Amino acid sequence: MELTKTAKAVKPPKPAKPSRLSLSQKQAIKGLLFISPFVVGFMIFYLRSLVMTIQFSFSDIEVIDGGYSSTFVGFKHYIHALAEHASFKQDLVTSIMDMVVDVVLIIFFSLFMAILLNQKFRGRTLSRAVFFLPVILNSQAINTAITMARQMMMGGMSPVSADVAEAAAVGTVNVMYYVYMFSDLGLPIGLLDYVIGAVTRINSIITASGVQLIIFIAALQSIPPSLYEVAKIEGATPYETFWKVTFPMVSPLIVTNVVYSFVDSFINSSVVNLSYETIFRNLNFALGSVFSLLSMLVVCLLLFITVSIISKRTFYYN
Amino acid sequence: MYMKKTITKMNKPKLRRRLFHIEKRVNRSAAGNGLLFTLMAICGVFMALPLVMVVNNALKPLDELFQFPPKIFVRSPTLENFSDLFVLMSDSWVPFSRYILNTVIITGFGTTGHVIFASLAAYPLAKHDFKGKNLLFSMVVLSMMFSWTVTQIPNYMIITWLGINNTYLALILPATAYGMGLYLMRQFMEQIPDSIIEAARISGASEFRIFWQIIMPNVKPAWLTLAIFQFQTLWGNTGYLFLRSEELKPLQYAMQFITLGGVHRAGAAAAVGFILAAIPITFFLICQSNILETMTTSGMKD
Repeated sequence: MELTKTAKAVKPPKPAKPSRLSLSQKQAIKGLLFISPFVVGFMIFYLRSLVMTIQFSFSDIEVIDGGYSSTFVGFKHYIHALAEHASFKQDLVTSIMDMVVDVVLIIFFSLFMAILLNQKFRGRTLSRAVFFLPVILNSQAINTAITMARQMMMGGMSPVSADVAEAAAVGTVNVMYYVYMFSDLGLPIGLLDYVIGAVTRINSIITASGVQLIIFIAALQSIPPSLYEVAKIEGATPYETFWKVTFPMVSPLIVTNVVYSFVDSFINSSVVNLSYETIFRNLNFALGSVFSLLSMLVVCLLLFITVSIISKRTFYYN
Repeated sequence: MYMKKTITKMNKPKLRRRLFHIEKRVNRSAAGNGLLFTLMAICGVFMALPLVMVVNNALKPLDELFQFPPKIFVRSPTLENFSDLFVLMSDSWVPFSRYILNTVIITGFGTTGHVIFASLAAYPLAKHDFKGKNLLFSMVVLSMMFSWTVTQIPNYMIITWLGINNTYLALILPATAYGMGLYLMRQFMEQIPDSIIEAARISGASEFRIFWQIIMPNVKPAWLTLAIFQFQTLWGNTGYLFLRSEELKPLQYAMQFITLGGVHRAGAAAAVGFILAAIPITFFLICQSNILETMTTSGMKD
């Protein structure tokens, strides 16, 4: 008995089983371990709601006692949205046009401002904060407080606000005067539309570029200073430094910001508003889901095209 | 005499530069700089005006709040509005500190959780290769398109299905898995040179150590930015959809009800606006001043 025990103890340990996984497979498993907590959450909270919305869009939903019942109806709601609904297509087209105008201007404005705000001057953190303010102030309670303050400033009376509206209307007439003048000069009406749209929306564009500005600042901060040193030693002018160092180094983040701006302006667009109204005012879950799915598809297609065009010109450090 | 004049003339721009600490640029004049900063200042004033209004309104006594024509700046500042708010809050159903605790728990866990999980997931997406990587990434981008307002009903059903309805988790868990963070972190991590990671791997660092000691310090601007976003989003969340117990509701909810009180709560509402704006701004300032230049390539010799 004892002998066998010692024999067992003396027995040399088995050589470790040669791992059947290749190095790249091991890497992949480690990668999956890193990703899994996020992906589990993502699948539960976001993917599932996407799938449910798609299910809703293909069926008639009826609210019954203690839940809902759905019957499969195929493409009925899709056909209704595209062929019969009064305003869906118009809303979609307007939203997308606005989005395209806004995104271009937001990117230009925020890159420009980020470069200015990235320079060293006194009170620079504070001035960055000023440009991030719209994002911070954009919450329900603060909005209510500001609206209330504005009402109080107008005296809280309707005659005053009517006056203000009238004054604003006079302003629009003036804008139209310039539009006619310029179109008389032979400028294409499309270009004029773009410029007028940009000018009248300047405030909303500045307000919407807070996040993009911060992303660009972060991007500018992660450019290694040694690159600028080299450029300086080689005698590059600031203009050359911008196009040869700064711009290529922030270009991957331009893609990021384009995507973010698209998402942001799409979520606040009139077509999303329409689907919200359809779901929660008219209680038509299926049709609202169809609206949001269709518009999402169109925007994704547009985004895919834009990003693939920009990505070709993007510089990656590696 | 003539010589002296030319010398002073030659020295003059240099002197001016020294006075204003303007670095000499080859093709941008001081006037150009001035113009740019004026432009920036004008935009900045537009941005800052609502905040100035919020701050001043919080300090205005009631008669000044209703004054017509209105003044932006306060004449005789008082803290009356804050004491009004305090009185109003002291006889609320649940102790006021409870609302603050709720907000701290939701915002704190939601922000840290999101930053950590999103960065963990972004690292392999940016620097490893495996099957389905691109599919996963495009799914995440797609999900960002999906407006929260439209998916409220499925969301509610999912939260109920998980059994976390009416708990803090109903707000914290979805916040940790939001797609934007993953997207942002991946874009930044992609810019880190592969050679640094390879060097660490050769030196025998584990994957987690590479992530924690090399990747994360290098993308510090990115995750501080992400923390700012997430803090802002969660801070503004009233949680009205999922939180029904009064003792679980966040500060924003309590504040919103005061502002909805209408004209006779105007003073307290002005104070509320100030408090709600002040804390995210403070958080932003702290984060921004912590973003220092990170030297991604400082350890490299290409």
